[in-house]
Amino acid sequence: MTQVVLFNVFNGLIVGAFYALMALGLSLIMNLSGVINFAHGGFLAIGGYLAFTLMPYVGFWGGLVLAPILTAVLGLIVERVLVRRLYGRDPLYSLLLTFGLAFMFEDGTRFIWGAQSLPYQVPGWLLSPLSSDYFFLTGYRLFMVVIVALAVAGLFYILNRTRLGMRIRAGTLDLETVSVLGVNVRVLRNMNFGLGIYLAGLAGVLAVGQLGLQPTIGSSLIMPSFVAIIVGGLGSLPGTLLGGLLIGVASGVTTVFFPSATEAVMYVMMAAVLLVRPRGLLGEEGRF
Amino acid sequence: MNDIKFSRRSLVKAAALAGVAQVASPFVLTARAADNVKIGLDNPLTGTYAAVGKNELIGCQLAIEQINAKGGILGRKAELLVEDSTSGDAGTAVQKARKLIDRDKIDFLLGNVNSALALAMAGVAAEKGVLHIVPGGHTDAITGATCHWNVFRVCNTTQMEANAVTPSLIKNAGKKWYYITPDYAFGHTLQAGLEKACAKNGGTKVGGDLTPLGTTDFSSYLIKAQAANPDVIIFLTQGDDMVNALKQAVQFGLDKKVHLAGAQQELEALEGLPPEARIGTWVFEWYWNQPGVPHVAEFVAEIKKKTGRVPTARTWFGFASTWTCALAANGAKSLKAVDMAKHLQDFHLPPEIALMPDGAFYRKGQNQLIPNLYVGHAQAKGSAPDDLFKVTDVVKGPDAAGTLEESGCKMTWPA
Repeated sequence: MTQVVLFNVFNGLIVGAFYALMALGLSLIMNLSGVINFAHGGFLAIGGYLAFTLMPYVGFWGGLVLAPILTAVLGLIVERVLVRRLYGRDPLYSLLLTFGLAFMFEDGTRFIWGAQSLPYQVPGWLLSPLSSDYFFLTGYRLFMVVIVALAVAGLFYILNRTRLGMRIRAGTLDLETVSVLGVNVRVLRNMNFGLGIYLAGLAGVLAVGQLGLQPTIGSSLIMPSFVAIIVGGLGSLPGTLLGGLLIGVASGVTTVFFPSATEAVMYVMMAAVLLVRPRGLLGEEGRF
Repeated sequence: MNDIKFSRRSLVKAAALAGVAQVASPFVLTARAADNVKIGLDNPLTGTYAAVGKNELIGCQLAIEQINAKGGILGRKAELLVEDSTSGDAGTAVQKARKLIDRDKIDFLLGNVNSALALAMAGVAAEKGVLHIVPGGHTDAITGATCHWNVFRVCNTTQMEANAVTPSLIKNAGKKWYYITPDYAFGHTLQAGLEKACAKNGGTKVGGDLTPLGTTDFSSYLIKAQAANPDVIIFLTQGDDMVNALKQAVQFGLDKKVHLAGAQQELEALEGLPPEARIGTWVFEWYWNQPGVPHVAEFVAEIKKKTGRVPTARTWFGFASTWTCALAANGAKSLKAVDMAKHLQDFHLPPEIALMPDGAFYRKGQNQLIPNLYVGHAQAKGSAPDDLFKVTDVVKGPDAAGTLEESGCKMTWPA
């Protein structure tokens, strides 16, 4: 019993790392632009489908590099053409827009690639478990954790050490002042949106290695990311990371005791956090 | 003069317009459409069951073409009306069923892939007295405890699938079973059916988990299943959930430690899996590769011509359901639901529709189609790219179906 619980805690961390990767992109966009990007899951699915389509030409590794970049380019275009018009309005407008986009992406992928699951294959040597006892530690899952760690490290490096990151952070705190200081806020928001969507695309490519590649993959993964943000705290990227890991572990451990509630437990956690500490575990007071 | 010329032109234009109006006016169109016999399909086109729902639709479309080519239904043209029921929202499915019946005045109702939605639709059909055929919703109650005189089903009951696969599983894989079951009507009855069949054959249940529909990550369930040390892990998940669960189980190397199996498996799911994850013992309800069975090759060729792919069991469900409508009406020489339902009691589908070695018939007093079931195992590679299942045992329907009393159906007919 103890072993099963421990295994599930550890496994939950792996799953949570993935939730965190999705949630970070979402959080980044929400913090700077105040846009609740419901279409994040759609971008994730497109990342996965692009990797599948590119694989015969550029291989698994090429897909891993190219697909998120192409998804980010799509994100830049969507921001430029659609999302940008709604900055400064009630967040409800952008929420409705991205909500509609989510449906369009899901049906779009269904139209282009078909409703049926597609067989996406990762290299054979990544597939086997590393040890027979710890069979849930497969090469691919460790690889995912490493990529997530690299992406998080890269993101925090960009935010803390580069000019773009400094501006994004400053803009998150006070966009008006940043704009008065001569920063082109439009470009800043555009780049920030692209960065967030890049993370969605990356999460998509990683996800389809162990999940079926199907049009609904985005909508089934988006909710845990929202929960991660709310639990971790709005406006805080470390909080989002923590939130992702926490809900991963919580749903893993719940499987041991009450398997049919693995999904519900996330929402119970969210409700509890909202009641006791509405700004989230590491969130700032007064956002949203 | 000019005035006359002008008015003549106007007259010509008006006449032309009137002519166009004769052909194109909505009134004329509705009047013509009313002559058609309407079959309403209320089935998922979006969500988890979109892929299987679309295959059922293709089967329905082929049947409609064939029916019309052979003179239609009672000499009238057959027309298919399609609504998206969604994959999991019973409210939407019921609302669409009511719309088809009340507004479109359909003569037959078809659907649903999702057992819970099929049950809800059967409730509406019973209330309205419309002939309802369930192509692919498996939960036992539809032709069991809540059976209705006007509700027929083409796919198997979950108990039939359980009865078909259990003997060979116990023999080849072992007696200790662990269940991973989707948490809704279909999963519950399928697991109950397997537990019953397993116990009858000397097996035991060592554990089981109910997983929410749409679960993406099965790792925590797999950890628990492995810890229970079973001989067989039984996967009862369907659609996208099946793909996710099997893909992860194989990545964990569980296929090398225990036997992975289940009851119902579908070609749609196997096609979505990478080759190394196409494993396990399963039941197929219909399979395209049946050498020597008459008419199967023609059916496969016609579907391939339409879609470029082989038909799946779902395609056949849609095909057989739609043809049942035509056969019922033409046989009863009536579109009255009672007459047609009576005609279908113990009705054998003709071989070109049944497409099975022993044929298929609707059992009297239950309205359940009793077909062949195909037990076998998934394979990474077969004789053709779409040949992903190796049939090892064709089970006769009556052997798997149990008795009419066991089904729990007590049918009452309208006075």
